[in-house]
Amino acid sequence: MNATRPVEQALWWLAAVPATMVIVVGFGFPLVQSVVASFTREGVLTLANYELVYRLYRQDVAYTIQVAAAGLALTFGIGIPLSGYLRLHRSQTAEFLLKVPLFVPFVVVGHAMRIFLAPRGTLLVGLHALGLASQDATLGIGEGALGLAVALAWKHLALVVLLLMGAFRGVGEEYLEAARGFGAGTFRQIWAVLVPMAAPSIGLAVVLSLTSMLASFSIPLMMSKGSGPQMLMIDLYYRYGQHGDFGVASAIGVVSYILAAGAAYYYLKGVTR
Amino acid sequence: MEVRVEGLIKRYGQVAALDGVSQTFPAGALTAVVGPSGCGKTTLLRCLAGFAVPDRGRVWMGDREVTYLPPQSRGTAMVFQSYALWPHMTVFENLAFALRLRRVPRGEVEQRVREALELVELDRVPEIERRRPRQLSGGQQQRVALARAIAVRPQVLLLDEPLSNLDAKVRHRVRVEIRALQRRTGITAIYVTHDQEEAMSIADVVVVMEGGRTAQAGPPEEVYARPASPFVAEFLGSTNVLAAVVGEDGRIRPAPGGTLIARAEDIRIIPPEETPPPGSAWAEGEVVDVLFLGAGYRAYVRIGDEVVMADHRTPLPRGAVRIVVPSEKLFSFSRD
Amino acid sequence: MAASGRRSAQDRPRGLSSLVLRAALVTVLLVAIVGPLAGLVLWSVAERWHWPAALPQQIGLKFWIRITQGDLLKALNRSVVIATVTTVAALAAAIPVSYGAARARLPLGPVVLMLFLLPQAFPQLPVFASATVLFYRWNLAGTFLGVVLIHLVGGLVYTVWTMTAVFRAIGEDVEEAAINLGASVTRTFFRISLPLALPGVVASAILVFIYSLDEFTGTLLVGAPYVTTLPVYMYTASLGYELQIASVTALVLMVPGILLLVLLERFLRAEYLAFFGRL
Repeated sequence: MNATRPVEQALWWLAAVPATMVIVVGFGFPLVQSVVASFTREGVLTLANYELVYRLYRQDVAYTIQVAAAGLALTFGIGIPLSGYLRLHRSQTAEFLLKVPLFVPFVVVGHAMRIFLAPRGTLLVGLHALGLASQDATLGIGEGALGLAVALAWKHLALVVLLLMGAFRGVGEEYLEAARGFGAGTFRQIWAVLVPMAAPSIGLAVVLSLTSMLASFSIPLMMSKGSGPQMLMIDLYYRYGQHGDFGVASAIGVVSYILAAGAAYYYLKGVTR
Repeated sequence: MEVRVEGLIKRYGQVAALDGVSQTFPAGALTAVVGPSGCGKTTLLRCLAGFAVPDRGRVWMGDREVTYLPPQSRGTAMVFQSYALWPHMTVFENLAFALRLRRVPRGEVEQRVREALELVELDRVPEIERRRPRQLSGGQQQRVALARAIAVRPQVLLLDEPLSNLDAKVRHRVRVEIRALQRRTGITAIYVTHDQEEAMSIADVVVVMEGGRTAQAGPPEEVYARPASPFVAEFLGSTNVLAAVVGEDGRIRPAPGGTLIARAEDIRIIPPEETPPPGSAWAEGEVVDVLFLGAGYRAYVRIGDEVVMADHRTPLPRGAVRIVVPSEKLFSFSRD
Repeated sequence: MAASGRRSAQDRPRGLSSLVLRAALVTVLLVAIVGPLAGLVLWSVAERWHWPAALPQQIGLKFWIRITQGDLLKALNRSVVIATVTTVAALAAAIPVSYGAARARLPLGPVVLMLFLLPQAFPQLPVFASATVLFYRWNLAGTFLGVVLIHLVGGLVYTVWTMTAVFRAIGEDVEEAAINLGASVTRTFFRISLPLALPGVVASAILVFIYSLDEFTGTLLVGAPYVTTLPVYMYTASLGYELQIASVTALVLMVPGILLLVLLERFLRAEYLAFFGRL
């Protein structure tokens, strides 16, 4: 199709402009603007915004990384053995159930987890009904880092299992049969064959989930109780929304870009491969 | 160890991959299971290996029934069509995997890996143990797969189309090596292939399968010389199949109910006026085409409505001829 | 034989212990996945619920009736209208890009494709906050158009990427056949390529519709205070500790996604699904 007439080619180009403009105006330009804003205060170039971020939010940076790491550990600690097991022993019911969180919006996950993990939330109600919790028990995880990590893992597990199952299915049956023929059980087939052979995809899934958890906003917003350490995106939102402090909010944003940039690098590399 | 199956039936949905197979695979011999794709040969092998469990029937290894045993408890080892060498492990790790699973002591693992590599003549390739499968040629990968299987010292070696991923030259060499290895070790080997020439050149016993059943089994020469059915005859050589019968005068004449089978190499072409030798069947025909095959020529001879292939040492002009087949080389079946 | 991979699943015998393990696994998953969602259902009908009762003391549809009236209905309406407009705009804008990229007619096609991925691969909140500042300057903040624009930013990736894959899957030879017979490139596109791509167009439309319906971050920032979609309404309700209203809204928000999951489970390919995780 090298014979496309120049006029038609130009028309295609022109037709591609609106979509491209949306991204440039709605994402590219704001991205640049926020980086610039993070270095300016009342029109003057300065590092003052970052000083403030360091002074007020350095613990929250650590907290954010902790929560993301815990969420990641939970997601993959469960996701890898689970996907491996389901690759070896197909269960349509389990696979269907695991897809459900994919279709539950982040805000809804946040709200559902809030009432589920609350000090006297529906989880505790259930435990009490089963006789597993006393009448004056309270659940201590809902508003802390652990509750957040659980909620993030709940939402991300679906995507991770989907990605891992895809990768594990890509491993030919004969590689597993060869191992099974020598007596390798489920566990060894997963760790000695599936995981190493699907390592690149697992890496991509880790990076994807990490970026998403570091930048998570709706889930912590729904679950946060407003005191104690916060996720960075919550800080950013309040800094911007309540204090109207775009400079500091942008500086927090740039910190999150840097956290995500390393991961995004691998992500894009993985996607283009 | 003698391997025996009795009345094996295995269905996949509507399709019977095995439709009642009973067969003995003699101890210490190389048995080739051959047949067109879909004949059930791979399913049979998988039932022997323990990767498939038959719906009905039994599998015996020696005097032990293994029908429901898992693969590792049967004393079998399998060589896969695609080799299934784990790409993330070195050659050493590939071979050591099974030995470690069996808790073979460390020093012995190394020794047995080396022995296995010697057996497949890979020990002289430099640094072979530390290479990964993708750094090896196809023939070398094939040998590593073989070594991995024999490293566990199986009593029965199962090979699933082990040569089909190699190019023709390497295939012939490795074929000879597999044969030599089997002779040297005296291991019972069962070899699945779709290539009849490969089967006959390598095997002590050939089992021809058709539609989930055994069509014929026996030494290759015997199966080749006395095919039990038109299917076997057709499958095993460049074969002519005619709907015809032989009259009392030896003349071949068309008959819808009869089936005559003769191989191209067994058909002689003589001038139309020459009298056929006694005890042979003959027909009048016309050479319509001649192909040069290198070692000789193949003539296409029209007889009535059908065309028969016949091999000939020298080039032939087109025109009227007679074809002659010695009676013992002509197989006659009557269609039910 | 190549068939061995497909077969093996039915080849293996199923032991009792493996059946028990599978049953246990499914049960644990059921509790872990349905558990938190079941809480939503209970709260949505709980007119009165005090610790430590296992079930609400008073059950009723009082809060569900709110869907048919007042704020909730308004938010629902607005959400659907915004999602519809966003979907149509995303399709119209994406088709030329996807087609151009798939046929390598768009110079720098791969780079352009990456561009659309950015909003999903990068932290959205800081960028959307920055976009809001811009939108205020352009009088787009708090407007319908502003919200649609911000939804397009995140949503275009679904249409662009899905349809690029679909157009790539359509053989260039069918187009060349038409052109060979004298049709113009444009005519070929509308008469041959687009009809063939229809399933992909529908799939990507569903994806972007659901994305828009669920979008929260951008709407919260750009839409405030005048444009309240369902997710934002839910957030406000939960801020005011109206757990029941928030739960009803949450369940309504889940309906399209779950419907899609049930109806299209067989047809949704893994690569379409993979995008969902980024909602």
